[in-house]
Amino acid sequence: MAIEIVQCGALITAALLMIIGLVALVYLDNVLKKIIGAAFIGDGVNLLIIALGYRVNGIPYIFLQNMDVNSFLGQASYPLPFALVLTSIVIGASTLAVMLALAVVLYKRNGTLSATALLNDKKLGEENNE
Amino acid sequence: MDGTIFIPLMVVIPIICAVLVNLLHEHSGVTKIFGYIGAICLPIVPILAVYGNHFFGGYQPLANGGLTVALPEAANAIISGSFLELFHPAITYAFGPGQQVILFVLGLVAMCAVFISIAETKKTSGVYLYMLFMLSAALMAFVLTDDIFNLYVFFEIAALVQVGLILVSRVRGNYETGLKYMLLGEVGGSFMLLGIALILGLTGNVNISDIVMMIHTGLVNPTNPVLLFAAGMLIYGWLYATGLPPFNAIKSEIYSKGLPSGSMLLQSFSVIACISIGLVIIRIFGYLPTAQMAMLAVSVIAMILGICMAMVQDDYKRIIAYLAVGELGYIGVGLGLATPLSITAGLFQAVNELVVTSFLFIGFGLVLYKTRTSKISKLGGLVEYMPVAALLTVLAGFAMAGVPPFNVFQSKYLLCQAAIAAGIPELAVIMIILSIVTFLAFLKMAYAIFLRPKPDELEVSSASVPKTTMAVMIVFLIICLIIGLFPGLVVDKLGVLALTAFAL
Repeated sequence: MAIEIVQCGALITAALLMIIGLVALVYLDNVLKKIIGAAFIGDGVNLLIIALGYRVNGIPYIFLQNMDVNSFLGQASYPLPFALVLTSIVIGASTLAVMLALAVVLYKRNGTLSATALLNDKKLGEENNE
Repeated sequence: MDGTIFIPLMVVIPIICAVLVNLLHEHSGVTKIFGYIGAICLPIVPILAVYGNHFFGGYQPLANGGLTVALPEAANAIISGSFLELFHPAITYAFGPGQQVILFVLGLVAMCAVFISIAETKKTSGVYLYMLFMLSAALMAFVLTDDIFNLYVFFEIAALVQVGLILVSRVRGNYETGLKYMLLGEVGGSFMLLGIALILGLTGNVNISDIVMMIHTGLVNPTNPVLLFAAGMLIYGWLYATGLPPFNAIKSEIYSKGLPSGSMLLQSFSVIACISIGLVIIRIFGYLPTAQMAMLAVSVIAMILGICMAMVQDDYKRIIAYLAVGELGYIGVGLGLATPLSITAGLFQAVNELVVTSFLFIGFGLVLYKTRTSKISKLGGLVEYMPVAALLTVLAGFAMAGVPPFNVFQSKYLLCQAAIAAGIPELAVIMIILSIVTFLAFLKMAYAIFLRPKPDELEVSSASVPKTTMAVMIVFLIICLIIGLFPGLVVDKLGVLALTAFAL
């Protein structure tokens, strides 16, 4: 029962991460905070996938020579979610790195990290027409 | 040699080229040679490939012949004789007649983009070519993959490369637009991954054919609320990738910030994402009328918004960008109606749009090349300076508006027929009216840029129009005419792909 609570906890944390990330992305004006919010959403989804692959009293999906096949098949966690999360983490890290690099360039050019000043639709439209 | 070996090569070759041109970016001559070789391979490999499936690592479904290693007895006892024998243990690429047509045209567009990029720059940029090749690889994988997570991975790669293509363009505001697109993309990508995660949680699978089989044979409850939520998430990802409302404004901004060769592939991403993710949604959630209605409604809004927004712009790059997004609505209508005829028409429209929008981006790219301005109010009289290019650009505009005998006329006509056959003739009327408005918008733009007297303050460069660019435009015109005059060459093959959306 206690272990199932762990899985529930992971799912709730994942949901919270996604909600906090969305709120940060929509309501906060600082570009860095928006980027952190965006990363939170991705982390929340990753945690959700890990929680999906969780198995009560499970063991890692690594078959050792002295293991009994039947007990291994009965206990091993489903490995696919973990493999997917690994890929997803790499993608998330790359995206985060590019976003942060863009934020650094924009700060150097404009001296501000305010999203209202930097990412304003009207400003971008005017620049485009120049 | 088995011809199916060419199936993964469609993705592998552009990736290898991308890595090579990036590694050798300091040697302009070598980069150029690798660029040309890789670009020529892009449309040729889909022609050489044989129809079939490619199972990565050789891991076929057990029912197909099984694995090369013996399964443990206990595992065999569980799997043997059950539906698990049909499951795909590894990533699968499916290649049929429909995929061949799409990939050939996509390869042709990518080849032309690489050629133009090399021709229009004094020193070939290996980094820029890297991004063109990587985006081409991602798009090829989009069309081929039967694995929903693999689709997501290439979706993210494509999103990153798109931002790279904008950053190197040196258009004002490109960094801001890039960051904005990435922030929105993080939400779109994460939501799509959430949808995939929920489907994985319910079916234990990421292979699309396996997921479809499990849902349609009742192994998973099709009305499970979690599955319905996953449908919503995938549709959200589809909207973001395609640039349909509410993402139409940012997508148009992205197109307008790219160089012409980059914009060609940027719009190709939207088109390919529209049909690839759209087909996945129809295959998995074909039993949900709500999902189809949502796709249809958003697509109609996109068509109307696209043309309305285009009419109020003074920047021709933005006009084409908005029109391109509007044209995506036609593809969405075809998919949203979800009948074999409508999906065929949607795919046909997608193939045509790949060519026509690229044709337009190059044409108006030449205007920018000669004048260094994209503001229509500052332009005029260019027909004297570039008569052939002006004529070709106007013809590209006519092709997009659906004027016969060009290809888009045939696909829009097929879409109207599909709408009437589906019992929604009003949709056909809307599409015809919007095509007429598009035609008028082009007439107005063509007059303002090419025909009216040249403003005194406008400086026109004396540099001649690059021959490669002209050759590419003529190639696109010929393709438009061939498909327009002989639509059966394409439609019959796309019909096969459309039917697979309804097959288990």
